[in-house]
Amino acid sequence: MLVTHRTTGKTTLYVSTTEDLPRHVDRLFRLCQDIEQLPDTALDILIDFHYCNFINHLGVAFLGGLACAIQARGGRLTFDWETLPKRIGMNLAQNGFLYSFGCEQYPWDGNSIPYRSDLDHDFTEIGDYLRDKWLGKGWVNISAGLQNAIAGQVSEIYLNAFEHSRSPIGVFSCGQHYPRAEMLYLTVIDFGIGIPNSVRSFLQNDQIPSTDALEWAFQAGKTTKQDTAVSRGMELNLLQNFVTQNQGSLQIFSNDGCVAIDHTGIRYENGYTSFTGTLVNIAFRCDETYYCLTSEASDPGKPWF
Amino acid sequence: MNLKIHNITGNYAISADHGQQVYDQIHSELLDGRAVELDFSEVNVFASAFFNFAIGQLLKDISPDDLNRLLKINNLNQNGGTILRQIIENAKRYYADPEYQEAADAVMEEYAASFEA
Repeated sequence: MLVTHRTTGKTTLYVSTTEDLPRHVDRLFRLCQDIEQLPDTALDILIDFHYCNFINHLGVAFLGGLACAIQARGGRLTFDWETLPKRIGMNLAQNGFLYSFGCEQYPWDGNSIPYRSDLDHDFTEIGDYLRDKWLGKGWVNISAGLQNAIAGQVSEIYLNAFEHSRSPIGVFSCGQHYPRAEMLYLTVIDFGIGIPNSVRSFLQNDQIPSTDALEWAFQAGKTTKQDTAVSRGMELNLLQNFVTQNQGSLQIFSNDGCVAIDHTGIRYENGYTSFTGTLVNIAFRCDETYYCLTSEASDPGKPWF
Repeated sequence: MNLKIHNITGNYAISADHGQQVYDQIHSELLDGRAVELDFSEVNVFASAFFNFAIGQLLKDISPDDLNRLLKINNLNQNGGTILRQIIENAKRYYADPEYQEAADAVMEEYAASFEA
């Protein structure tokens, strides 16, 4: 929630409680929209945590991205750390969010997967983050081979974010391990043009509803990249197959559309507050028994081509 | 020719740029009918962009039969193999079948037109 004070002209951003509920995601998008409508001269913003009881990994990644988006417009941000509830403060300190925004508290290992922002796609650094900080901390009962497979799939999300989004401020990520649910989450956000807008631009048709544009993007072989004659467009399709086969879940919010994928199938929805970029929230099981990887590839007798 | 992929990609065969580097080294060899072995040992993580550029685009001007005969894939882990097979299927349809390319383009045009008022 944004409140502009009449006397000082300063704006306060009250961080609200954020869990995985779609209405909480929608509230973040409304906040982003409200900030986009502020003139650059009004971007002197105090961030206040009085009304925040919990902020999950998705909220952390989004808040970090939003803060960078404000700064990129020349805005001035002040975090009122005094308003931060102790429990949330511990979480934000542990995952490195506080350190990223000027506090001298160094992050440490715990159930949070570190907050990070990346302006450029450093494959090795992000790959190490996925394997060492997300998957490889001993809280997932999966083999090294499966960890590599999941890291590869999540790399597709980063590839998509860096190659297609045209995000001027980069990509923001944060994750969380939920021991009781035995699930591992990661959110990756860019503040680019969004998948539906990218498809509309590619198809030169601005009338396509977001759900149809998202559906188009998830088909094998479909890509909005035009700078090469190389066959492409497998990223989202591969990810979809992997998630549905292995009882994970994937939500993608982009512009005013949403795709939700799990073992029951794929659902497209319109009607969210329009977010210019793309938010991907992915979850995997922490137990190898849920996974079903094809063994076709290891058949040495089958020709590759 | 034997090419150790790890020397180009490190642990992560993810990027299109690395894929293009592999393609640049092997394409002319294969085109001239010389055998190429790709050694994927020590490469652990794979993404589609790498394979699209390294291997998928070979199908632009080299037949599947020639590639099966000339290109050897060694020490590729199971996940890499799964992705590679899907990439090859996609690329074969895209490059080897002009009718598919035309049909795909036509579908895209029709799709775009269907939303015009």
